[in-house]
Amino acid sequence: MRLLGSILYDSVYHTTPILLCVLGGIFAYKAGVLNIALEGFMLSASFMSMLVAGLTGSVALGYAAAFASCLVLWLVFSYMGVTRRGNVIIIGLAINMLVPAIAGFVLQIMGTANLTLPWLNVGDMKVNLPLIRDIPVLGNMLSGHPVTTYLAFLMIPLMGVLMYRTRLGVYIRVVGENEDAARSLGLRTDRYKYLAVLIGALFAAFAGVNLSMERMALFTNNMTAGRGFIAIAAIYCGRGSPAGSAMYAIVFGVARALAVNLGLFAGPAASLIDIVPYVVMTLVLTMVSVVKRRNNRLRGFVGG
Amino acid sequence: MSKGKWGPKMLNSILPVLLAFGIGAIVILLIGEDPLEAYGIMLGKSLLTTKGFLNTLHYAAPLLLTGLAIAVTFKANIFNMGVEGQLLFGGFFAGIAGAYLPVGDPLLHKLLCFAVGMGCGVLFAMIPALLKAYCHVDEMVVTLTLNYAMIKVLEYLSTGPFREAGSGYVCTPTVLDSAMFYRLGSSRITAFFFVALGAFLLVWFVMRRTRLGYEITAIGKNPEFAEATGMRVHRKIIVLMALSGALAGLAGTGFMLSEKFKYTLSFSGNPGLGWDGMLIALLGRHSPAGILIAAVFYSALKTGADNINMYTHVPKEIVAVIQSLMILFLAVQFLDERYGLLARLKARKGAKADAITR
Repeated sequence: MRLLGSILYDSVYHTTPILLCVLGGIFAYKAGVLNIALEGFMLSASFMSMLVAGLTGSVALGYAAAFASCLVLWLVFSYMGVTRRGNVIIIGLAINMLVPAIAGFVLQIMGTANLTLPWLNVGDMKVNLPLIRDIPVLGNMLSGHPVTTYLAFLMIPLMGVLMYRTRLGVYIRVVGENEDAARSLGLRTDRYKYLAVLIGALFAAFAGVNLSMERMALFTNNMTAGRGFIAIAAIYCGRGSPAGSAMYAIVFGVARALAVNLGLFAGPAASLIDIVPYVVMTLVLTMVSVVKRRNNRLRGFVGG
Repeated sequence: MSKGKWGPKMLNSILPVLLAFGIGAIVILLIGEDPLEAYGIMLGKSLLTTKGFLNTLHYAAPLLLTGLAIAVTFKANIFNMGVEGQLLFGGFFAGIAGAYLPVGDPLLHKLLCFAVGMGCGVLFAMIPALLKAYCHVDEMVVTLTLNYAMIKVLEYLSTGPFREAGSGYVCTPTVLDSAMFYRLGSSRITAFFFVALGAFLLVWFVMRRTRLGYEITAIGKNPEFAEATGMRVHRKIIVLMALSGALAGLAGTGFMLSEKFKYTLSFSGNPGLGWDGMLIALLGRHSPAGILIAAVFYSALKTGADNINMYTHVPKEIVAVIQSLMILFLAVQFLDERYGLLARLKARKGAKADAITR
């Protein structure tokens, strides 16, 4: 029973950063700019929030630094990838390598292996929901998370509205589907790509702060541990739709919670659960591609 | 190739390097150290002393192969981002074969290890290759994410079934003496460097002088046209990915048998040899000679990082910063390669003259 309770709680806990990355990343995906730098964005937010909060003693300044660092990376990524038309995958990989390199450099100069905030009580960040927390099992799972977690789940429908019901969302999707058509209508396509990447950067900043400051008040280098790529897998599986991609984010979060909790009993074999997101993604991509080709064939476009 | 194209091509490789080093110098200045001294130690010790240079060549061997593994696929406009995973898979099982197969003969044992390592590399490359060739699945995304799956699988294998029981940290058993490459002389260089060089020359020959090489270039230029002229593009994609996987597996095997001797969780370093290969392929502009120079240069950086740590107060992480900046700047073309700067200026002048005469 206690194991079940902790798996349920951890599922929400591990879903949060992945979900945030997914909800931000779908816009770049739809705009045709695959942002694999989410991992780097997230890590820089984790690092800068802890660094600045540690130096100034202010949580608010920590948040500000996290967002500032993601905005800088956003400008670098968008300028190189959108304005200069570089290969976005390579730029993304470079950012994913650059951020831990800088973090490692700074940690080395400071002479420590990780950053902590001894004065910050992580328990204070957690919000217990009245009423809900008294429900057996479910209460334990849904209550006692930081505000960011609740926001993340509330964002699922909001991002759906933003993507399908607002002009911004429609234009971003048009730019991704047919850039020439969008340009012929007079849309400034580059501007929408910048905006799409910006949404991802802001959400990744939230995810990064959640990962380091809100959960544990601790930063260790490379602590994002591939979560950005799991988010990419979820985005691909859900084909960029907010609800679908969010569902996969939750599935992958549950898989992570299972891997962590079952590891205590099953030993190293439990870490094999960690490959679930990647295998699922490969299978979904294959299925989508096969179905698409079959439809094309039925309509007479052989080869496609 | 006409002469005019070489200038911008070279500049497009050199400018990002200079920019990255420039930013690195500013960072070093900011922490109150002398960048010229740091760079001098970093490159001087690994390129200008005999022992240092031989060490550099030793570490260049796997990098040469991973750079080549990525370049052969890029040439056909296929993106094998899974070189890291293929290298780890190959290296891991080459190490297992080296530790468990009781073959007495050193040559035979090494050959078996290479067969296992390259076989594993090919096998792992086949998943995205078959999916790409027959289901049209985007190989870039699949290869990229499968790396992470492979890291997890190997983490399980090395902490579970294949863990060396007596060791204080997670690692597989050390390979037997008969599978090891021994150092030649006082530097770290081993016979594996010549194996890598041989493989490099072979691939160069295949790419430049055989039908396969020609077809790969044709597919890269225009796959539909290649298909229309009768090339079997599907099959070529598979052959190419197999070649790439084999090179990655060879790199992993060689690194295992000549440097590491056992699999640890940080076998490939950080960032891994496969990612380094990407930088080298980009830096060398996918041409064999360029890759050879880039691999040696990059290896000098890597070995220089340790010297920087030893002889200056600059943390060696600065090298990782410079490296990732180089990749970042290499992703965009600073100069148009098709028209030289001069040609473009002339064209502009010509247009102006036209406008005036009209």
